[in-house]
Amino acid sequence: MRKLIVLLLLSITTSAIATENEQATSWLQKLSLSLKQLNFNTSFVVVKNNQAEPYHWFHGINEGGEELEIISLLNGPRRDVLRKGSIVSYIEPELPPYSIATKQISGPIPTVFRGDMSSISSSYDFVSVGRSRVLGRPAQLIRIVSKDQHRFGYWLWLDQESSLLLKFALITRTGQLLEQVQFTHLEITKHLSENLKQLETAELPQISEVPKSFQENDMAWRVGWLPNGFKRIKANRHRISSTKQPVEFMLFSDGLVNVSVYINNSADKQRAVEYVMDGATVVLNQVNKGFEVSVVGKIPSKTAKAIADSIVLLAKSNNQ
Amino acid sequence: MSESKFETMSSCVDNYQPNDAAFDEIFDEISKDGHLSDTWGRYHLMGDIIRNDIPETLQFDLSAQIAAAIDNEPTILAPKVSPVKSSSFVKELKGRVIQFAKPFGQLAIAASAAGIMVLGVQQTNIANNESALPLQIIQTNPFGGIAEPVSFNFQQADRKSQKQAYIQQQRRFQALLSDHHQQIKLNSTTADNKETASPEEGENLHK
Repeated sequence: MRKLIVLLLLSITTSAIATENEQATSWLQKLSLSLKQLNFNTSFVVVKNNQAEPYHWFHGINEGGEELEIISLLNGPRRDVLRKGSIVSYIEPELPPYSIATKQISGPIPTVFRGDMSSISSSYDFVSVGRSRVLGRPAQLIRIVSKDQHRFGYWLWLDQESSLLLKFALITRTGQLLEQVQFTHLEITKHLSENLKQLETAELPQISEVPKSFQENDMAWRVGWLPNGFKRIKANRHRISSTKQPVEFMLFSDGLVNVSVYINNSADKQRAVEYVMDGATVVLNQVNKGFEVSVVGKIPSKTAKAIADSIVLLAKSNNQ
Repeated sequence: MSESKFETMSSCVDNYQPNDAAFDEIFDEISKDGHLSDTWGRYHLMGDIIRNDIPETLQFDLSAQIAAAIDNEPTILAPKVSPVKSSSFVKELKGRVIQFAKPFGQLAIAASAAGIMVLGVQQTNIANNESALPLQIIQTNPFGGIAEPVSFNFQQADRKSQKQAYIQQQRRFQALLSDHHQQIKLNSTTADNKETASPEEGENLHK
């Protein structure tokens, strides 16, 4: 009898967890749809390193069914990202304006939020936690929890009415807050806002060609270990624009987080590992036997160190 | 108050007992005479100072003075609070005022919070502009500490090279960080449409 009760209780709790997960997944699906389909005009502030960066974000659909989007940094030199359908233009102080043929804006909002969240479900669990009040609206808190200790988690506060973002935060497994994005204003409209109408008629800079990625065996090295779910997205050789340092480069992603690995010859023979945190982004740099290895991404420093230490130089390594 | 009285007292303080009769007498006098007892205290303090025996902070007894001061304070007769006749009208008015004030209050709070944020951001920007390095956003946490120079002669040169190494390190980090963001931006292409143009030769990717 007692066993039966325990079994019953167990099944109830597991089913409760299951429904919680389902709820979270459906919330995230609604978020993705809202980010693609609604006309909204919102402001948010990225808070990290005791600094706040304010942004303005417009999104809308024109009569032709094309998505229009603007994200601008409001402080300091102009940094705008404009999107018209499948062309994204970046206007930045360092480079002349350029466009890229893509539908995804790379900025403070992770691109997967508007994509298919189930694609990251092998590395992360989704948990619907509870309700609270954010930006003066009732909000639903959803946690994106890493399945292992090699990654950070995301907490999302979604508007109960529209499922749009009201706030999100990057949090370590021990609950330490690293970075957060707080929305300060949200307006959902029926029609396109004035800025987007202007964008509709504006001419975007020419699309620049992105060189083809290298194949795995073009590189004289490989990364021996990565947390589960990370896949190589591209590899190339290029010069780092500010230092003109030639590097070999690989980019990895688990769908939510991007990790860059750089390797180059160094004048130093040996240098102990150094790292800095920019919000949740770790930058790790070390020199081992004349090779400089750097790892950059929103991952814990331990993970970055493990990735850097796992790099294997292959035999034909002296061609650079 | 004769000179001899002070002398006896002084010798008492110094644990130097003349004779018992004079001793008793002087204690009698001290306990009666305020002036004398003050002097008694002062002698002890002097002795302590000479012997270097004083505590870190001297605590003079203030209670007597405070008591006296309180005695001199005029008494304030506060008017008794009479319970206000709270008619239903007043209650209603109050309720209305709160209702009316609430949204405005919230707006005001939001506005002021935004103001603080903007102010804070501006201040940090200014701080950034002033510094010679544009790299202050990054805070370093070296894994191993740097040894402190011991000799004075070496200090200057060492500090300088340390500072230079630090600047170089910051530059390196900043360059990597911005390149990482740049690469992600350029990457978005391959994520959506797998097929891209022209194979790449050598090592130039973007500007």
